[in-house]
Amino acid sequence: MNFPEDPYRELLGLNLPPERLAEVLQAYADILGEIRKLRTLNLTDEHPAVIFEPTAPYRLKK
Amino acid sequence: MNAELWQQPIETLAPAIRSGKVSPVALTEACLDRIGQVDGELNSFIHISKHALQAARAAEAEIRKGKWRGPLHGIPVGVKDNYLTQDMPTTAGSTAPGLAFPLRDSGAVSRLRAAGAVLIGKTRTHEFAWGNVTPLVSNPWDVTRVPSGSSGGSGAAVAAGLCISALGSDTGGSIRMPAAACGTVGLKATFGRVSRDGVVPHSWSLDHAGALTRTVADTALMMQVLAGYDAADPACQAQPVPDYAKALNKPVKDLKIGVCRNHFFDRVQEDVARAIEQAIDDLAQAGAQIQEFNIPLLEYGLGAIYAIELSSSTAYHDASLRAGRVSHYEPDVRMLVEMGRLVTGPDYLLAEQYRSALMQAYRKVFDTVDVVLGPTTPITAWKRGEWTVKVAGQAESVLAAYWRFTYPYNLTGLPAISVPCGFDRDGLPIGLQIAARPFDEATVLRVAHAYERGHEWKNMRPDI
Repeated sequence: MNFPEDPYRELLGLNLPPERLAEVLQAYADILGEIRKLRTLNLTDEHPAVIFEPTAPYRLKK
Repeated sequence: MNAELWQQPIETLAPAIRSGKVSPVALTEACLDRIGQVDGELNSFIHISKHALQAARAAEAEIRKGKWRGPLHGIPVGVKDNYLTQDMPTTAGSTAPGLAFPLRDSGAVSRLRAAGAVLIGKTRTHEFAWGNVTPLVSNPWDVTRVPSGSSGGSGAAVAAGLCISALGSDTGGSIRMPAAACGTVGLKATFGRVSRDGVVPHSWSLDHAGALTRTVADTALMMQVLAGYDAADPACQAQPVPDYAKALNKPVKDLKIGVCRNHFFDRVQEDVARAIEQAIDDLAQAGAQIQEFNIPLLEYGLGAIYAIELSSSTAYHDASLRAGRVSHYEPDVRMLVEMGRLVTGPDYLLAEQYRSALMQAYRKVFDTVDVVLGPTTPITAWKRGEWTVKVAGQAESVLAAYWRFTYPYNLTGLPAISVPCGFDRDGLPIGLQIAARPFDEATVLRVAHAYERGHEWKNMRPDI
């Protein structure tokens, strides 16, 4: 697949006009700062708190 | 009974209803009258049930025949507008076109109905529970201020006596924050303790269902009905449900109370800090042992909860996003839903790894303490229309500031309550937050009740 003219639109799946995308990116800046801080942690040995549970579909539904 | 019926807590009303001294019909009429008198100003309800009086009459008839179902029988309860109900529409606070929620009872509502509660109406929520303002709703202590949110309608309605209790939901603090802002009790139980079946999702691994009440004993009574396994909620756990009322009236002597001195005491409004230190002193005077500690990892929590909450919420709204329906959402919610696309997969999983590390850090703390105590929020209710607040001289967005002390317990899934602990210099309520080990709501209630018993806060009412 060839990327179209605007790869961000494709990668983000966010079909917004450029000025709206700029607004969203601007609003995200502070949150990204917090996520950047999170990225400084080395959590290699931590299993994420997401547990795959294959028996879930067999639980009794009401 | 000396006070008006709508001013009474469940703990007082239930025995009176059972003995026939109080009529569920009179009580429901009192709440409906109260709604008629003050909700034009508060806007806490989005829908009033057409069936409330009929349910009250049915409860009264059943009780007269000796078929009392328990303490919630005949008690008017509000339902946050993100819980599905079979006889009232659900909007999740949204007016966007193309949304239709089914008419069926959510798990928690089914339990309330089976317990004989009178579902009086639907309380307003911030759109999709994505925010802490709850537009349109006013704080009964000062109607120029917000009730916080997202369960702001429930907080305002319970505080003003429009219903005796109300359901709320809590993804980053949305039960505890309005409880603190409106001067009510609010418990977010352990993740998996109360079914979220039929609660419009916000963030699957952070969402909790629960109730706001006027007293800790009332929270115990609500929890007795709400807690328990429900296979329809994939996260619900089949843990034994203790008798919560038995946890009350026990002394706190010899309990070990932890105080986390980093994060929870950073940038706190002066009056809030004073009230919390006083509460710690009061519990120490009552014989509790106070142990101070730090959890340095808390410094990284905001990025983690944003990564999880944004990406989860955007995944839930993905179809609406692709169909362009989010352009009809409120501007703040639309922005957050669009923003969730910017969180990367690795960042989301890093946040989930962080969560495991934070859970371990808390587990170590709970090796030596029974509960952890601190402020529910760093500030009291702010003026409507303000999006930035000054906390300890530093400007901060209300969205970032107000949930700083509540979201750690959504990341860890630990039970946490907010109980009133005083007022600031403007007469606005302050909340004390108490958390405990997973599924140890009983100890949370025990400490909260011991604190509440030693003070008069629960008897103070907004002048509205």
